[in-house]
Amino acid sequence: MELLYIPLILAIASTMLGKMLSNKWIWSGISLIAGFTLVLNLHCSHNFILSESIVDIPWLGDNIRFNLKVDGLTWLLLLLTNGLIPFIIASQSEDKVSKITPLIFLMQVGLNGVFMAFDGLLFYIFWELAMIPIYFITLIHSERERFKTTIRFFIYTFVGSLAMLASLIYLYGKTDYSSFSYDNLFAVNLNYAESIWVGSGFLLAFLIKIPVFPFHLWQPNTYVWAPSQGSMLLSGIMLKMGLYGLIRWYLLLVPESIDFYQPIVICLAVIGIVYGALIAIRQDDMKRIIAYSSLSHVGLITAGILTLSIDGLNGAGLQMLVHGVNVVGLFWGIGLIERTYKSRDLNDLGGIASKSKWFTIGFFLFVIGSVAAPLSNGFPGEFMLLKSLFNYNTTMVVFAGLTVILCAVYMLRLFQFSMLGEGKNESNKDMCISVNLELILFLILSITVILIGVFPQNLIDIINPSMDQILKELLNVKGVLS
Amino acid sequence: MIGVSIIFMGGILTLFLGLNKPEQWSKNTSALLLLLASASSWFEYKGILNFDLLFKWVPQQMLDISGTTEWMSALLLFLGFMIMNIMPSNDKKGADIPALMLFSLSGGILLMGAEHFVMLFLGLEILSIPLFVLAGSNKDNLNSNEAALKYFIMGAFSTAILLLGTAFIYGGTGTLNLNEIQLKLSFASHFGEFPILLKAGLILVSVGLLFKVSAVPFHFWSPDVYEGSPNRIAVFMAVIVKISGFYTLGNIFNSFAPMSAWSEQWILPILGITILGGNIMAIGQSKVKRMLAYSSISHAGYLLLFILIPFEENINVLATYSFSYGLGTISLFYLMDQYSREDKEFSMYTALFSKNKLHGFLLIIATLSIAGVPSTIGFIAKYQLFSSAFAYNQSAVLIALVGSAISIAYYFKPFKYAFDNSGFEKTDNSERFELNLNSVYLLILIVITVIIGIFPTILEYLL
Repeated sequence: MELLYIPLILAIASTMLGKMLSNKWIWSGISLIAGFTLVLNLHCSHNFILSESIVDIPWLGDNIRFNLKVDGLTWLLLLLTNGLIPFIIASQSEDKVSKITPLIFLMQVGLNGVFMAFDGLLFYIFWELAMIPIYFITLIHSERERFKTTIRFFIYTFVGSLAMLASLIYLYGKTDYSSFSYDNLFAVNLNYAESIWVGSGFLLAFLIKIPVFPFHLWQPNTYVWAPSQGSMLLSGIMLKMGLYGLIRWYLLLVPESIDFYQPIVICLAVIGIVYGALIAIRQDDMKRIIAYSSLSHVGLITAGILTLSIDGLNGAGLQMLVHGVNVVGLFWGIGLIERTYKSRDLNDLGGIASKSKWFTIGFFLFVIGSVAAPLSNGFPGEFMLLKSLFNYNTTMVVFAGLTVILCAVYMLRLFQFSMLGEGKNESNKDMCISVNLELILFLILSITVILIGVFPQNLIDIINPSMDQILKELLNVKGVLS
Repeated sequence: MIGVSIIFMGGILTLFLGLNKPEQWSKNTSALLLLLASASSWFEYKGILNFDLLFKWVPQQMLDISGTTEWMSALLLFLGFMIMNIMPSNDKKGADIPALMLFSLSGGILLMGAEHFVMLFLGLEILSIPLFVLAGSNKDNLNSNEAALKYFIMGAFSTAILLLGTAFIYGGTGTLNLNEIQLKLSFASHFGEFPILLKAGLILVSVGLLFKVSAVPFHFWSPDVYEGSPNRIAVFMAVIVKISGFYTLGNIFNSFAPMSAWSEQWILPILGITILGGNIMAIGQSKVKRMLAYSSISHAGYLLLFILIPFEENINVLATYSFSYGLGTISLFYLMDQYSREDKEFSMYTALFSKNKLHGFLLIIATLSIAGVPSTIGFIAKYQLFSSAFAYNQSAVLIALVGSAISIAYYFKPFKYAFDNSGFEKTDNSERFELNLNSVYLLILIVITVIIGIFPTILEYLL
């Protein structure tokens, strides 16, 4: 509960004090301390298996309850959200602080709520609540085509959410006690035709949010034109909502439809992996490369989830955290480059490595994390996902495995063209990225790439119990069905 | 019952006392009267005050303002209070406009409380006739005169159709009392098919009322009339007439409930084209006021869902929806009125957020609420309406969901300009927040919208 109202209070405070206290370090520090204390506090009181609720009070009538629970998967995502948000606040340029910070805090409320909600309507409300601040962040601060990109983004996601609302209301109508609580929705048995429709509603919402291949049209432009904080929030944290929803809300609530949708979604995800990677190779805009690489990476996570194996789910859980860290780091690095060199076009840049050594080291760590080189954080998760996909279908893994090679191609191209060689633009050739508190934080975040890469088991220990529980329940339900 | 008597008497007094005073005076007086009436109706509904002795003479089988009708009249009076307060008055002398608004409101309450078709007709006329005058109250403006004439002719037609329907119903049942009609129909339902006279009567009566609430095939007058009328009259029509019209429609369909299986057949297409038509036509509008007119048409479509669900159990669904729709519409009309320029296009909102923070927040909250995005009362209302209608008709709810998705495309249009600071230079006094009575009302609008969205249990205390 504290995870909801403390960010809300911070949001209100930073709106009120916007003019007086426009120092990003203060807000970042407060959020860092508050976030970590609260999340670690949750850690102490739960052993990563779903147990009793943190809060359970009636909200709208008696049957729609304000019900929050935490398990390992949720805990990891809460760690990701509350751990990254201080860094995202710290990455702003000083002149925008009073405008973006309140919206970021408001977004934190929504995201924390989505991951903890165990009531259908509550989940939907937080899902939408997380969307409103990001809409305004992108609308107010985008570089170009503001309205066109943001309205497309909003309509896409809103259509998805409404489809999910329809599915939720349908399930609600089928429950024994007319209740939205997770357990009651879980207990509903649908026949095959119903489950296809209900499942399509959930899938539409989640696949648009992730985004998986044919539903990704809103994504590249939104990521590229949004301010880098917006891109970080969208790709680093917000798309995890879709993946989380897929695991917790789609797989368990509509297991009857999995047999129908499993091959379709895996196929689309694999198409997305290759498609995103191929397009990323040809881009010159650094943010656009990351946007398409993100499409490719989350495709693999989606495919891994849908294989319904413990490796796939554990790998997906780990990769959600890792992808969040890497993408935030990369967008942050690009933001720093853009602020110094006033460009993020590969044709304009070059030779940064010789001027700013520390920055280059940090950026390189994120690049290898994204490429999934061994001992970097991307490796264990990606390996597990590919393994699970291999067990599911060998042909698929041939295509999905391309991601390892293609990712190396475009990420190293990105690194090479921007960091190495000579500066191509005469006017900003001699500038360098200054060493200040922001760069130190950037480096701290980049060290986690190695830390997670060397000790992945600690994180897997956290998600494994809850993933195990989810898989057992799922196989149990499917066993009863078949 | 107390509410309608306060504003009717008060309206007459204001009309005479405000003869030589500036309109501001009569506006404030009537706003006070509305607040008094609203509060006392609500207290009467809650049983805290009791005025039964005063109204012993009112024949119960004609007019019954108690229970939920009392609550709805308190709501209507509260929304009227908001409209009266925040919409600016003109600087002429005389009390005619506020007084006529009070008369029209009392007509709306009589319409909602009608238990008899004669009373219903009387209420509808008391609601409409002042509005014909009010629509043309901007006498120097050609559009306003056009609006008045158009509204008058359309209104007269629809009333005539309604009267013809009433005659048919009398022919079919031998009574005009709504309760007796229900009783007779539930007997008749055991003997097979209903007579064609009765069916024709119900269709004609509903067409007459659907004209008033501007459902789609009968909506052609509404954008023109809204555009031509002065802003405060337009919002009055969009809020008061629509809410009382829908309550009455619900009342009538409740009496004709034994025929519901048949009436659904033609309500459903009207509902579908109203939602889709209203939303799709709104996208193409370049003028804010016409966009709001079409948006109110699409909301008429959502409210038609209410006709499909049983009246007595789900009355609080209509109450919540009317409340949220009223608050949202009043806020958006107010902003449109404040920034309206000659061309009335969306660019009027340019740099709104930098010009005035309070108006900016009001725009955001009201838009989110009326579009049905969570954490606002609009979502709670839409959720309640859709989920209770889902049990009775799933395809209608799906259409409504598609409609809500389309509506984002035009509701969010003002944001394009509101955050666009190009060509706007900051001056020192542009951002200062002034605490005056008007901004207090705007704060009330914002707070109610958000608080009920976050703590919907408050509604249970109100209802």
